[in-house]
Amino acid sequence: MSSSRFPIPQGTLDMLILQILSLEPAHGYGIAQRLDQVSRAVVRVNQGSLYPALHRLEQKGWLRAEWKQSETGRDAKFYSLTASGRKQLAAEKDSWARLAGAVQLIFNEGTR
Amino acid sequence: MRELVNWLRRGKLESSLDRELRYHLERRIHDFEQTGLPADEARRQALLELGGVAQIQEEVRDIWLTRWLRDFVYDLRFTVRSFRKTPSFTVTAVLSLMLGIGATTAIYSLVDQVLLHALPVRQPERLVLVDWKGDMVASGFGSWNLLSYPICRDLDQQKQIFEGVFCRALTMVNLSTGSDSRAATAEIISGNYFPVLGAGPALGQVLTNDDDRRPDANPVAVISYDFWKTQLAGAADVVGRKVLVNRHPLTVIGVAASTFRGIDVGEVPSLWIPASMATAIIPGFKDLHDRRTRWMQVLGRLNPGVTLREAEAGLQPWFKAMLQQDMSRPGFPVITAERRQRFLRSSLVLMAAPQGHSALRRRMMEPLWVLFAVTAVLLGLACLNVSGLFLARGSARDREIGTRLALGASRGRLGRQLLTESLLIGLAGGLLGTAAAPLAVRTLIALLPPSGTSAVGASASETALHANVDLRLLLFAFAASMAAGILSGLAPAWQAGRRSLVSSLRERGGTGFGSVRLRRLIVTVQIALTLILVVSAALFVRTLDALMAKGPGFPTASLVSFGIDCQRSGYSEEEGNRLIRRIDETIRQSPIVQESSVARFALLTGGSWNNPMTILADKRFSTDGDVNLNSVTPGFFPTMGIKVIAGRNFDDHDIGAPGVRGWRSAIVNQAFVKRYLGGRNPLGVRICQGSGPDARPNTEIVGVVSNFSYRGIREESEQAFFPFQGEAAATFYVRVHGTGQSSFRTLRTIVRGVDPALPMTNFRTLEEQVDRSLNTEHMLARLSGGFGVLALLLSLVGLYGVMSFVVTQRTREIGIRLALGARRWSAIWLVLRDALAMVLCGIGIGLPVVWALGRLVESQLYDVKPFDPIVIAIAMLALCSAGLGAAFVPARRASGVNPTDALRVE
Repeated sequence: MSSSRFPIPQGTLDMLILQILSLEPAHGYGIAQRLDQVSRAVVRVNQGSLYPALHRLEQKGWLRAEWKQSETGRDAKFYSLTASGRKQLAAEKDSWARLAGAVQLIFNEGTR
Repeated sequence: MRELVNWLRRGKLESSLDRELRYHLERRIHDFEQTGLPADEARRQALLELGGVAQIQEEVRDIWLTRWLRDFVYDLRFTVRSFRKTPSFTVTAVLSLMLGIGATTAIYSLVDQVLLHALPVRQPERLVLVDWKGDMVASGFGSWNLLSYPICRDLDQQKQIFEGVFCRALTMVNLSTGSDSRAATAEIISGNYFPVLGAGPALGQVLTNDDDRRPDANPVAVISYDFWKTQLAGAADVVGRKVLVNRHPLTVIGVAASTFRGIDVGEVPSLWIPASMATAIIPGFKDLHDRRTRWMQVLGRLNPGVTLREAEAGLQPWFKAMLQQDMSRPGFPVITAERRQRFLRSSLVLMAAPQGHSALRRRMMEPLWVLFAVTAVLLGLACLNVSGLFLARGSARDREIGTRLALGASRGRLGRQLLTESLLIGLAGGLLGTAAAPLAVRTLIALLPPSGTSAVGASASETALHANVDLRLLLFAFAASMAAGILSGLAPAWQAGRRSLVSSLRERGGTGFGSVRLRRLIVTVQIALTLILVVSAALFVRTLDALMAKGPGFPTASLVSFGIDCQRSGYSEEEGNRLIRRIDETIRQSPIVQESSVARFALLTGGSWNNPMTILADKRFSTDGDVNLNSVTPGFFPTMGIKVIAGRNFDDHDIGAPGVRGWRSAIVNQAFVKRYLGGRNPLGVRICQGSGPDARPNTEIVGVVSNFSYRGIREESEQAFFPFQGEAAATFYVRVHGTGQSSFRTLRTIVRGVDPALPMTNFRTLEEQVDRSLNTEHMLARLSGGFGVLALLLSLVGLYGVMSFVVTQRTREIGIRLALGARRWSAIWLVLRDALAMVLCGIGIGLPVVWALGRLVESQLYDVKPFDPIVIAIAMLALCSAGLGAAFVPARRASGVNPTDALRVE
């Protein structure tokens, strides 16, 4: 847990969760692990905000959840993406790309 | 929506979340243990990383239920808990609102039923009432908005405007379904009445146009559902049975739908009879097809899309042509050119009539609105009372609220909590009030003035009014409760919002100066509202007093009356007249009877026989208004105790033998002489009914009697009396020895002895009749008086509460004053002065309102102005003395303060 990792920007946690689940269904612990792996050196995800985020996404109908046997043999709550969740992820990716592009453009402007 | 589902399955959600988090933690602890941490350290790390299980649970719950719903549930729980801790507060507050909401709901029930409720028929909003504006050059009988039968038929042909036009008239009949016969209300209707209204049968069929084509050809009737259930025990074979209506057999062809009770909420017919049978049924009636006889109300159903104004304008061309045509019809009376102009200037007006037509509505419109306004004020007062209670409780809870603010509760959240409390109180009060409302409504219905079909006699006939709590009433009560809850909570919530955090924490224990000013303001407004109610109560009580003191103009003790209509029982007019004379004779011979007499029309029923008159004195002229008329036997004035002031009473010579008609003599009252013969000797002046050129004034005035009430106690009318000659319907007036009630049996036996099947209607003492005719006034005086007392009590409780609080607050100041040598009475005065200032302030606010509202009740008053100085003075005095009384208890406590104790309090 080095201090060089910065906290995840507001609102991007939802997008990251959707992205992770777009690959395969996972339970909360698994998502936390995955988040940790993919962002190891860069962002710090507060595990406390993971579960509220999962429930919020489920409430919105972007995730569906079911209890299934996990790799350890015990029951865990697995989340997977719904059709509207997939659509939402596409939209968020798109707007993220545009935002990043726009920010990059402004930076370029300054250096020219 | 989803939130509500979550709310219902929250137990399952909770346990699922629990398992989910536990799974996560266990895996995490396992991870840490793998790295070599001891078990308890691993658990600590895992928990630390997650950042608090309870917090996550809270956050997730917020997502499930949304924030406000969860807050609301918490507020509700907290509120119920805190109410349970202060039961006396809760009970007082709930009872206050129960009184207010109960009273308002009860009155609203009547307002809704009598004034607002649309008929339970197809699209009632398209119904209109047709009325004649101008001089119809017609005579008639009945209540209001009367037209003739032929004009209704003509209107029904205006198909471009109306889907259909029907007419109806209420009449009293003798109805016999078996052995006995009783008086009942019948509605004479045109054949299209049921089809146009869209009311159907519960059994058999309803009347149609086919039943109303040829005179006397359709002896059929439809009976009402209530009559079928109560009088015929709901017999299944009722269709096809015969009933006797005024001794005339009619076949029942159906029972009307249970929801349909005619078009007059104040008068429910027992049966409907086609107009084609009117001539057979109504004794002496021959004018069904006469265009100059007005006796029916005409209502129509507009075509879809036709507005009231369009319809009215669309009718004028046809109507103007009809007026011209009417004048050339045979039988049109000879009238002056000026009157002809008035006739030709007439127009037809249409009025929206989704509620049908009702004499009761017309009479009760103003009193009911007045009472509704009064109860609304009372409800406002009750809300203020609860506000005051909340503020008082709020100052005791100061510390709690201050602490919550310090811990980070938002002011909005606190205000919402307070509003939840008041809403809950409002709903509880509303629930109790609504539960009590039916009882109140039943009492109110009993207080309502009886309705009467015609001048012939008011009857305590059935009304469609009920005391049931229906959906509309529930909605109203709910709205009233919510409004009351919000109103009660507004001041405390506002107060909580303004509270300074620092000062409330700094204060030691339950004081709180901020709310006192607000509570004073509330009490002041309460006093103002109370003034309005007390003044209105005083006005109505004085009105009733004045009318009771005035009386009918004759002594009512030992006087009884009852009505008889012989032709309805199958007698011919001459036979009936003989029968009445015989009954009069027999009664007079009874040992319990002092005197007995007969009048054609009953007194104090609200109706009368009236007509304009032509007077031939030095010159010939017509009266400018209707004169109230009656025909009486010679015994009438002596029996009633009415003095003959000039000339003579009627004698047997004036009456003549049965069957002989022709009035040669008349008696008028003082008001008649004063108005039309001022200064002239009335005796010998000739008069007659009617004002046209064809009127022949050939009846000589032979006497003058003192004034007495005819229609009602209020009026001072011009009256003229003719000898009772050949009539077959009459009201008997009998003065007996002893009380009126004691004679009922004897009198009934006498009439039964003459004809056992002859119904006696409106059998009652004159005292009762006077009470009945003052029914509206009684109701207004009683209810407004009761509400006034309630208002006074409520505001006194408020005043007492505030003054007690002020005294507690000023204990130290008073102690110091006393220590410095102030006298006890000056301490008392200190408090009383404070209270008096509030009362006077309230009166100051209330007086202009009273003045402004005065004209609204003016028409209900008698012998007292709406801004009567004496009434106002009495009301002010009552408020001041009651206010001082309420403040005196805390004031005495102030004077009893021990200076040393008071100083030690600090």
